[in-house]
Amino acid sequence: MGGKKTWLIHAVLVFFSLLTLLPFVFTVNNVFRTNAEFYHAFFSVPNAFKQTLSIAGGALTGDDTPIEMADEEGLIRSLDKKQALRLSLTNATRGPRLAWKVIRPYMLNTLVVVSLTVIGVILLGSATAYILARYRFAGHRALFLFIISTMMFPGVLTLVPSFLLVKSLGLLNTYWAMVLPYIAAGQVFAIFVFKSYFDGLPEDLFESARIDGAGHLDIYWQIVLPLSKPILSVVAIMNILGTWNNFLWPFITNTEGKHHVVSSGLFVLSTTAHASNFSTLYAAYAISSIPLLVLFIYATKPFIRGVTSGAFKA
Amino acid sequence: MSVRLQSPLSCYAIVLPSLVLLTTFVYLPVVWAFASSLYEFEIGADSHFVGLAHYGEYLGQDPTAFPSLANMLVLTLIAAIMRMSFPLIIARLIYALPTERWRYIYRIVFLVPIVVPGVAVQLIWADMIYSDFGLLNELLRGVGLSHWTRGWLADPQTALASIALIGFPFVGGFEVLIYYAGFSSIPESVNEASALDGCTGLQKFFRIDIPMVLSQLKLILILTLIGGIQGFENIFILTRGGPGFETTVPGLWMYFNAFSFQRMGYACAIGVLLFAIIFGLTLLNMKYFKSSEDLQGVR
Repeated sequence: MGGKKTWLIHAVLVFFSLLTLLPFVFTVNNVFRTNAEFYHAFFSVPNAFKQTLSIAGGALTGDDTPIEMADEEGLIRSLDKKQALRLSLTNATRGPRLAWKVIRPYMLNTLVVVSLTVIGVILLGSATAYILARYRFAGHRALFLFIISTMMFPGVLTLVPSFLLVKSLGLLNTYWAMVLPYIAAGQVFAIFVFKSYFDGLPEDLFESARIDGAGHLDIYWQIVLPLSKPILSVVAIMNILGTWNNFLWPFITNTEGKHHVVSSGLFVLSTTAHASNFSTLYAAYAISSIPLLVLFIYATKPFIRGVTSGAFKA
Repeated sequence: MSVRLQSPLSCYAIVLPSLVLLTTFVYLPVVWAFASSLYEFEIGADSHFVGLAHYGEYLGQDPTAFPSLANMLVLTLIAAIMRMSFPLIIARLIYALPTERWRYIYRIVFLVPIVVPGVAVQLIWADMIYSDFGLLNELLRGVGLSHWTRGWLADPQTALASIALIGFPFVGGFEVLIYYAGFSSIPESVNEASALDGCTGLQKFFRIDIPMVLSQLKLILILTLIGGIQGFENIFILTRGGPGFETTVPGLWMYFNAFSFQRMGYACAIGVLLFAIIFGLTLLNMKYFKSSEDLQGVR
């Protein structure tokens, strides 16, 4: 393996990385720019940054001539360095502050929906998988088939009747309209993954617990759950990713718009008057990516395993 | 390695919540879909049995049916080609790097965009890349081709292609990881033998590497086909099927029939037809393709 060849590979990979990340770089850039800047100079650095830097630079060199700037109401005022710096920072962060105000309720709704879903999927998925993996009883095989067969029904088949169902159950405009169907569908993949993991655990573990008189729930809490920690984070991340990205279902079931999650909320935002202010719009896109980015940084390895384990869905 | 139970009541009790949820929120809607495709009904109004009339109407009279099926086919095939080429080459290049450290870094770099909500990605492309003052038009103006500029998603000539090309350069982190796992599981003996035989470079890529990741390629293919047949969220976000019906796909038409025109039964019939196509593909997959359980490397 020659060094020259390695450098060539690096060059190609860096080129494609940049191309892949480019839209997101521009997105972050636009968070701090006005519509006028977007229209007239697509590639420029935010004026608010340049201004802040030049004021800060001026302050450092001891230059204290007052600066003329437009305030929040658009009035031109003469300001000293400290006031000017504060105002230019306020201008630069206007988009994110406005965006946060709009998407904060969506974030909270997402947090509720994602948490309830992932807890339900983990608990039901692991409990059912434990029973399927460790016991044989009448109807065992039929039960497994019943569960696994649901994988062949695509969302497009059940979208309309599922809506009619949650509507007739009176669940429209509630968290349950999202959480219950998400758990119902999400647990199948979890059962599949958990079961193949539990199948590989040595029977001695369960045997000795049973001899000590432990019941199903004791074994589940004290042996199964602690042992499944490595696979648990994988299932959890896979589930969170799915729930996070689901846009259509929350959009349909929130006819009154009070329970929108981030995905459906972003779409709604893009159709309202806020969309005419690009800075707010792009700030909303950027802020909505932060929770999963934090999760990604915090749990890179389970994240990678979670994403690749999606392959089992086929 | 498991216990045989005579009185499995406690087992049934533990799996009961799972079963209740599955029956209610998966099986019931499935049955409901088939049943209501045979009825004409609106929410709050009387319904009456129409038999297979909805299927006949969609395949025989609906003017959107065949153009939208063609759109679906075009979008799905382009997606399949993109997802089976660019990420494959990138994964192979990452695999060729000599140090594990760099291989890890690049895999992470290509995976990071997965944290951006899918809706945001679509909207970013619509607002920032394809809009009047967006990246594409600005680049064209920059190189003196301003007569080529247009509203890419609004122009009937470019709308469908623009949707298909969202995500350029198509190096999805998921696909890269899957292919990379495939390359990693090629036994070292195979690599050594091919090196001894003087099989290197492109020749090795086509003769050895690609056959070794065939099951991964098939996996991505089937996932893309199934996703392409039932997916319409991106089109709903970007163009709502327009201009005219230029970018309409059957799934989107189903959505509009259900939620805009209140034709629930007709929408269910379209859903059942799409399911039939997907089901056919799944059967083909099971019969002619190896199952994904063979994908040892993926783990």
